[in-house]
Amino acid sequence: MRNILVTAAIAVAIMATVRAQQGGNARPADLSGDWQPDRTRGGMGQSLSPSDPGGRKRGNEDDIPYQPWARAKTLSEKTSTGPESRFDETTDPQVIYCEPPGVPHIYLWPVKMRFVPTSEAVYLLYELGPFFRVIWLNAKHPEDPDPQWWGHSIGHYENGDTLVVDTVGFNDKTWLDQMGHPHSEQMHLIERYKRVSPAQLELDMTIDDPGAYTRPWNSHRNFATSTTGFLRYQQICSVRENQKFFDDVGKPAVGTLPRK
Amino acid sequence: MKNVTRVLLMTVAVAVGVVPASRRLSAHHGANLYDMTKAVMLKGTIAKFYWGNPHNEVTVDVKDEKGNVAQWVAYTEPPLVMLERGWTRKSMTIGDEVTIYIFAARNGSTVGTLNRIVLKDGKELTAYPMPGTPAPPAPAK
Repeated sequence: MRNILVTAAIAVAIMATVRAQQGGNARPADLSGDWQPDRTRGGMGQSLSPSDPGGRKRGNEDDIPYQPWARAKTLSEKTSTGPESRFDETTDPQVIYCEPPGVPHIYLWPVKMRFVPTSEAVYLLYELGPFFRVIWLNAKHPEDPDPQWWGHSIGHYENGDTLVVDTVGFNDKTWLDQMGHPHSEQMHLIERYKRVSPAQLELDMTIDDPGAYTRPWNSHRNFATSTTGFLRYQQICSVRENQKFFDDVGKPAVGTLPRK
Repeated sequence: MKNVTRVLLMTVAVAVGVVPASRRLSAHHGANLYDMTKAVMLKGTIAKFYWGNPHNEVTVDVKDEKGNVAQWVAYTEPPLVMLERGWTRKSMTIGDEVTIYIFAARNGSTVGTLNRIVLKDGKELTAYPMPGTPAPPAPAK
């Protein structure tokens, strides 16, 4: 009997160790597949505001708790898409400088992502860039992280179906979405990726940024599986290629005179 | 009447009527610059085809009844997205006669957002859907 108890205790300890190595006490969520914005459930949208996904109330949304400077900054930006887009004179840093969109802005682009789980981290690959993020499992944030484009992410699994990602250490150079919502270096982003059906993934986000907003606020994204293949074409941002597009299609449409 | 018919066949025709305001969310540039309420039909020949980021561009020479040629440029989403809709970098052949449906610039410029294109062999390739309509299904890999 004693041997049985000892064996059982050892087995439990081993299982706990394995689970810890896999990112916490919950078993890993199966997030396999190539995920793209779900065009049947909101698509990409323009804004993270749940009440204004199309960006029509930019700067005046009821569900974004702006600090005064953040509202003024939003209203001062010129967007490249959306109801008031002026892509000939946009201030979107991703368009004019080809800077990384960061997160969550990358989820407002028509690109797929793929989760690559390992024992030490989940690698999140994006067709845009192509960029990738590292979600460290069983890890802690540095005490004083250097501010960077994608911040520092740690993660764990919950309930066997959810990956929770906690990110700090962002720089303040990216927009949160296409509508120019700013953030500060104090942003603390919580992402919860949950597969709700074999073909559907949902992302709940909490944006906690005491440097830009008066309280934490939430947003949501829907994704669907794609079977068309991952990274069949590299979605690379080039200032030169962007300029060609502005010259060919943008400037004529913005100008007051017909194109010659 | 004959002239009207010629105009309809040879040059620009409003192909689709006004549709209800869109609830669909699209991230393309300049919904305020291009008239997304109607797709204009144009018949012409492929002059250029740019396959690349940030957007593909289809350039079509459109001849009016007097023989004057206007060059139209219609853009699509990037190759990454268009591959899913069955497009490839070899989808267009320079000189082929095609029919395009375009959300044209509001200011009268001969540029716009491509809705769809009917190729010489009758094959139709879709691009930006009409606002308010479901996106076309992606073909399997």
